[in-house]
Amino acid sequence: MRRSASGWLWIVGALVLVGGCTKPPQEQPTADGKPAPPPKPAKPRVALVMKSLANEFFGTMAEGAKAHQAAAAGRYDLVVNGMRNETDVSEQVTLIEQMVARKVAAIVIAPADSKAVIPALKRAADAGVLVVNIDNRLDPAVLRETGLEAVFVGPDNREGARKAGEAVARQLSAGDGVALIEGIPTAFNSQQRSLGLEDAAMAAGLVIVDRQSGQWEMEKANAIAAAVLTEHPALKAILCANDSMALGAVAAVSAAGKSGQVLVSGFDNVPAVQPLLADGRLLVTVDQHGDRLAVEGIETALAILNQEKSPADRTTPVDLVEGQAAR
Amino acid sequence: MINKTRLSEWGGLVLVWLAIVALFGLLAEHFLSAATFTTLAGRLPALAVIAAGMTLVVVSGGIDLSVGSVMALCGAVLGLAVTQWKWPLLAAVPLAILTGAAAGLTNGLLTAGLRIPSFLVTLGLLEVCRGLSYAVSGSRTLFIGAGIEPLARPLPFLGVPATVPAALLVVVTAQILLSKTVFGRHLVAIGTNENAVRLAGIDTRRAKVTVFLLSGALAGVAAVFAVARLGSADPNAGTGLELAAIAAVVIGGTSLAGGTGSVIGSLLGVLVIATLEAGLAQLGASEPLKRMVTGGVIIAAVAADGLRRRLSADRD
Repeated sequence: MRRSASGWLWIVGALVLVGGCTKPPQEQPTADGKPAPPPKPAKPRVALVMKSLANEFFGTMAEGAKAHQAAAAGRYDLVVNGMRNETDVSEQVTLIEQMVARKVAAIVIAPADSKAVIPALKRAADAGVLVVNIDNRLDPAVLRETGLEAVFVGPDNREGARKAGEAVARQLSAGDGVALIEGIPTAFNSQQRSLGLEDAAMAAGLVIVDRQSGQWEMEKANAIAAAVLTEHPALKAILCANDSMALGAVAAVSAAGKSGQVLVSGFDNVPAVQPLLADGRLLVTVDQHGDRLAVEGIETALAILNQEKSPADRTTPVDLVEGQAAR
Repeated sequence: MINKTRLSEWGGLVLVWLAIVALFGLLAEHFLSAATFTTLAGRLPALAVIAAGMTLVVVSGGIDLSVGSVMALCGAVLGLAVTQWKWPLLAAVPLAILTGAAAGLTNGLLTAGLRIPSFLVTLGLLEVCRGLSYAVSGSRTLFIGAGIEPLARPLPFLGVPATVPAALLVVVTAQILLSKTVFGRHLVAIGTNENAVRLAGIDTRRAKVTVFLLSGALAGVAAVFAVARLGSADPNAGTGLELAAIAAVVIGGTSLAGGTGSVIGSLLGVLVIATLEAGLAQLGASEPLKRMVTGGVIIAAVAADGLRRRLSADRD
């Protein structure tokens, strides 16, 4: 088949549009493997709406929730939903609408965007669905504006990042230059982690000589770290907003022959960084206990549904995990 | 196919690249340093071999959108083989490349056998292989470390890792395949007018299956290069890589309509894109600026190439 270049372009355009509009949201059946039966008032159905299940962090979160439901199957039914694409807000909005249509009692959501999903959640709340916000905090100003009441259960990312930044600062002295590799700039947790790292750097008198987005990805962070190491030969540390990017930064530091001279910090405490923590190439990371996060959200939802508890925000723990080099 | 026009095209691209290097040299303090170029050399191999495969596919009038996902899948298989099954590298690396070849073979058989446009087949495989990559890795990044890092360590005397000469070898071989062999001539003929080739009594299917198989296998090779450099296998690796590869191929003077192109040109296209990325990162450019500049340069490079072509056509 022969096509002109412009023909190809039209096809690309059309497919991009179709792909953007019709991505089927992933849905996993409840733990018993069947689609859930019509709602019974005795056993509430809780929908867990997350970002990409392909992301290790959310995968862990989903596993934790499923294990919890299996252990307490008599108390509630669980519907776990994830998106195909981490940044596709419209897909998550569709999921919320589908969950409302399925008449769930509560939606426990890790928002893909701290603002854009609020109108859909407001419609869900108006339809009588309890909304519990986990992981990424919904924007307080927009919440006020729309009048949506959503309990927040989740970690303080800024606090966690500040702890990591402080651990790095303890190894350095005032005036030393550091670089930030940030997540996706529009993501609330990325912004919070940047703020926390800035807090720590400022408090210790460290100079942030460069900051760029690694888009949460190892390869992109590696490219940026390599460039920053070249451009700033006196750099003392690279502070990364997640562990994937920290792995990329560690590889760049090794390639530049600067292991031990340039410190690297991460966030999330994924299994892949454990060897690096052990051999000292990664100074610290932060554990926000993702496996517990969804469970805490579900417990909060159940407590409110059963009127055992009045809605109140709760901060879940964030713990510093120190590698060999930090101790 | 390597004639005067081709050489002047490559020369033009080298000039574009030198201009970019000079510009970043002026703007960034340490851009013109050995570290910049050894880093750049370390980053090139993965995209260069993928672009080589893509060039052959595009010359034959097809397209392979699955390369990024196939690379992630091969990387995940490599990571699994080394970390979980404790395979030696000598067995794990061929397995990764075979995985890519299998994905490419699937692309080729579906495209040639069912006569479905490669755009749709490989778009499907893009999804399937990404899913497989998540499935085999459990969506987890696999850290490999010391087992594979020697591949990415700079060689004595050369100052660049072994992946660089390996990638150059692939590029030169692919160029010879395209311009000096019957297979290459078939690819060009199929890309120019597949029906005419078929009417001439030549079975186009074998060449089409082979070209996709090569592209898949090269995505596997790229996975080995990328995993070696990072010391880890990332199941999210290579997202959007197909677009970077297509951009490199087009900048390199290969026509998306098929029938004409060069692998060396694509290598120069890769060089332009990677240099741009490195330079913008050294400048500390913001994410929006990076994207806008990269997009602008791709359009400008292709437009300049079209202009140069028209001018030389007028002169003849």
